Amino acid sequence: LVFSVRIPRMAVNLSDPYLPGAISLFEQLDKHLIVVLRDGRKLIGYLRSIDQFANLVLDEVVERTYIQKYYSEISHGILLIRGENVVLAGELDDSIETGQIKVSIDELNRIEQSLEQSNNDVQGGSSSKNDLPLDEPY
Amino acid sequence: LQLPLSLLRTAQNHPMLVELKNGETYNGHLQSCDTWMNIHLRDVIFTSKDGERFYKMPEVYVRGSTIKYLRIPETVVDMVKNEVQEVRRHQKDMHKQKKTYGGGGGGGGRGGQSNRGGRGGGSGGRGGGGRG
Repeated sequence: LVFSVRIPRMAVNLSDPYLPGAISLFEQLDKHLIVVLRDGRKLIGYLRSIDQFANLVLDEVVERTYIQKYYSEISHGILLIRGENVVLAGELDDSIETGQIKVSIDELNRIEQSLEQSNNDVQGGSSSKNDLPLDEPY
Repeated sequence: LQLPLSLLRTAQNHPMLVELKNGETYNGHLQSCDTWMNIHLRDVIFTSKDGERFYKMPEVYVRGSTIKYLRIPETVVDMVKNEVQEVRRHQKDMHKQKKTYGGGGGGGGRGGQSNRGGRGGGSGGRGGGGRG
């Protein structure tokens, strides 16, 4: 008789031999991730490789830009991202319906322009962008 | 797969796109790179952040610390896969030539090395943790 026991995920993390006391990206390999960069970009792709600086190699990358409930995607192929530029990386659950609508890049630009116009009419100020960037470009 | 910087080393002589932290992009063939991600590109096209200005330059040296990301062509990855297969085939041939008794064990040991891509990152991390 063979019993299969489900080991809780926390127990597995504590016994991680590679980075004791630290959180490793090792378990995220080959997973579908969203990576947010310091300039506010959101890159979605499969994590293929990591190193001690958290430099990432992502495969089948799309850069997604959101305006309210609309988004558009730009393909980037394979990216090697320098670790210091990464704010966070999170596992994507592709089965979750977000209710967000994918549009073409041109369509998204049009939506953005029409929003800026209506904002200028009402407030005369810039629309609140939830995006980063954290740094000034240098 | 391999570590990110070894993938970069494998991509030498291939065209690639480098985006810097300031948003400027450099398109060129990778001549060489080092452990700090400093890169030397040949036949480079520079695009300004606003996408308005373009310059052509025969060669460019970019300091690794200024890089945001590099876009690597898919042909490099295919080449890596083929290289790994070539290395394994070469090792098998070497063992056949030697005909040593420990060839089977040695082959098994070296077969384990293909996983070093992931564990290499891990052992690098151990070192990084010690230094931190």
